[in-house]
Amino acid sequence: MSIKRVAPPATSSTGGLSDKGLKAGSVGLIGAVVIGVSCIAPAYTLTAALGPTVSEVGVQLPAIFLVGFIPMLLVALGYRELNNAMPDAGTSFTWASRAFGPWVGWMGGWGLIAATIIVLSNLAAVAVDFFYLMLSQVLGNPDLADLTTNLPLNIATTLVFIAGACWISYRGMETTKGVQYVLVAFQLLVLGWFAVAAFIHVGNGTAFAATAITPEWFNPFAVGSFSAFTAGVSLSIFIYWGWDVTLTMNEETKDPEKTPGRAATVTVLVIVIIYMTIALATLSFAGIGEEGLGVGNPDNQSSIFAVLSGPVMGPFAILMSLAILSSSAASLQSTFVSPARTMLSMGHYRALPTKFGAISPKFKSPSYATIVAAIAAAAFYVITRTTSENALWDTITALGMMICFYYGVTAMACVWFFRAEAFTSARAFFFKFLAPLLGGVILLVMFFKTATDSMDPAYGSGSSVGGVGMVFILGMGVILLGVVIMIVMSRIRPEFFRGQVLERQGSAPAAVENKHAEQ
Amino acid sequence: MRYVVGYSANARGYDAVNLAVALARGHNASIDLVLVLPEGSPFSGIYPPQAGYDEILDQQAAEWLDEGLAMIPDDVQARAHIRRGDSEASVLIDAVADLGADLLVIGATSSGLFRRFTVGSVAGSLLHSAAVPVALAPQGYHRTDPITRYSCGIGTRPGAQNLLTFAVALSAVKETPLRLVSLLTLDGENEEDAVNAATVRAADAMAATVSGVHAPIPEIVVARGRTIEESVDRLDWEDGEVLLIGSSRLAQNRSIFLGSTANRILRSLPVPMIVVPRDYVPEGTSQTSANDPSGEAGQS
Repeated sequence: MSIKRVAPPATSSTGGLSDKGLKAGSVGLIGAVVIGVSCIAPAYTLTAALGPTVSEVGVQLPAIFLVGFIPMLLVALGYRELNNAMPDAGTSFTWASRAFGPWVGWMGGWGLIAATIIVLSNLAAVAVDFFYLMLSQVLGNPDLADLTTNLPLNIATTLVFIAGACWISYRGMETTKGVQYVLVAFQLLVLGWFAVAAFIHVGNGTAFAATAITPEWFNPFAVGSFSAFTAGVSLSIFIYWGWDVTLTMNEETKDPEKTPGRAATVTVLVIVIIYMTIALATLSFAGIGEEGLGVGNPDNQSSIFAVLSGPVMGPFAILMSLAILSSSAASLQSTFVSPARTMLSMGHYRALPTKFGAISPKFKSPSYATIVAAIAAAAFYVITRTTSENALWDTITALGMMICFYYGVTAMACVWFFRAEAFTSARAFFFKFLAPLLGGVILLVMFFKTATDSMDPAYGSGSSVGGVGMVFILGMGVILLGVVIMIVMSRIRPEFFRGQVLERQGSAPAAVENKHAEQ
Repeated sequence: MRYVVGYSANARGYDAVNLAVALARGHNASIDLVLVLPEGSPFSGIYPPQAGYDEILDQQAAEWLDEGLAMIPDDVQARAHIRRGDSEASVLIDAVADLGADLLVIGATSSGLFRRFTVGSVAGSLLHSAAVPVALAPQGYHRTDPITRYSCGIGTRPGAQNLLTFAVALSAVKETPLRLVSLLTLDGENEEDAVNAATVRAADAMAATVSGVHAPIPEIVVARGRTIEESVDRLDWEDGEVLLIGSSRLAQNRSIFLGSTANRILRSLPVPMIVVPRDYVPEGTSQTSANDPSGEAGQS
């Protein structure tokens, strides 16, 4: 007689594994902070977002960087509650579907996918800029750095970077602990070096446009207009994007009670100190003028360190190139996993064609979804690069908008999902209701305000198509594309959209037990 | 007897399942399909965190294992396991130890275009570190009928005793024919002497192995060619045949190291191959244990 059965993974696993399939109890406080900092990738976010933010808010950059953390914190608290109640690969997609039904859920998932696709194309572009910059620094030939402005060559190199990261991700290869420690330590060291060198120049009177720091820089109310304020905040949401990874850690930490909270606190302190130091150093050294090295110069917006690291750090500028190239390349590879898994999850729940749910038998990674993510990122880059004069600047602004959208939807999903529990205890009231409600409202206001403002052709880099601002076209175009695909999907595969796959749930305890739809 | 199959839901995995069935049928052995899933590193920098991904992966793995189990005919006992780890090879080695398995069956990688066997990275590391014999299924192995003949490769170096003991025990279970194969590369000089010497060496090794044991005298074949590949090609191979070879003498005690000669044999071999660690002494080589499914207590 034959006996055939599949042993459940829990009983046949080799060691103590958490629900997430991660080795339980393997991450201490320092490890968790390293993970947090690596997900934020401060060297990359600063070089990409510092210029565009200054162009919106001027010297109030430090104030906006501080204010931008507040909605991120509020939403992340709600995100953590949802993650604990319904751990799911679809995250925003699944949670919004459970709370608001299939249509809003689908768009929440689309927002997350779009944000990660946009950041992929931007990461690849930044990596390429610094790749050529480093090449020129290594070979001592400044002409090489200009190769990145050669459009066909730039596009070709970027596509190679995207393809390479896709291939690594498809093969299921991951950055190891040792590499991550080195990358993070190197980034922080080089950023610190940059700040110290900039202040030394200011002290010696060799700075480009030495500007004295005043308390006004820290006053968010000194920002000229509400439009500039929202634009600045939606950009600074982007610089904290990734921080919430520390809050959602659980069994993989050595002390699940204390480590995540402490790690989140230490990470945000480290990041705020770095951001403040770099913001003050950059503004004191270069000022916000629109000439030469000034941070307000439109030519310097897409990548501030590419311009300033040479004058500030001298021959050691190559370290900055290496730090940004390595951190953006590592982020490029790990970020591929996210849209792939969200699409996999949507395929799994039949919100996308089932092909998206395919897993490679050899590498055990999402196969179809990973390739689709790469094609989408490549297409997005080619389109923005060929239509916008300053593609990186516009994509970062559109990205800020997209993060506001899906984070806002997620926060509202948290409020609605837990509505029955909201007033049962002070803790539930704060974490499941008040914090996500405030965060969600702030982000959605940011989203709508940025969306309407960006219709102005002068918005962002000033690129426009048919008299409408490029940022609006990118942001709304992506959302509209999502609506179109959603409607097509609802026609060809209606089960999900009839609510038959992921049922709406309230916050009744029994409903929380049922994590997955029956397949 | 218990065989662990390094399973994946692709051609390579199916080859391994077929070979495991063929081997198990002769020996009343049970099969454990082991599917290795990657163990996510918290340091991978994946953001946003997606806690439920592994549930989807586990569900997919269970479906894949069901397909694998469905390939196994009813006369062979089989179970399936999902295990997690960073290295597929080390997870399989641990599984062999945990399950008390006697043999590990894997498929050769399917990417070799012109050669039936190209040892992939997983197979390569297994052959360097497994403590039990490792059976390699060639690409596209379809047979599931019992093995019809065992060939045992006898090299020019001494020390084939353990391999021969293992081969004799294997063939004795169902009285499957055994032949001793000596592969010679010749340059045209003193060919006859070399052939005679090889024959004598094989006969001596056999005599030393089976002294005092009743066993049928195996056929001894010496294959000649200018290269190892050519001599392998010139031998006649039955469809249901398996070649047993010993691991290189470079190997650490009790683990397998595929020597350069074995590697070359592998490339031209049309049938499965079992690589036996140099000092492998099966627990209970006698006939009783081979028929006793002691590892299956409580399973039937």
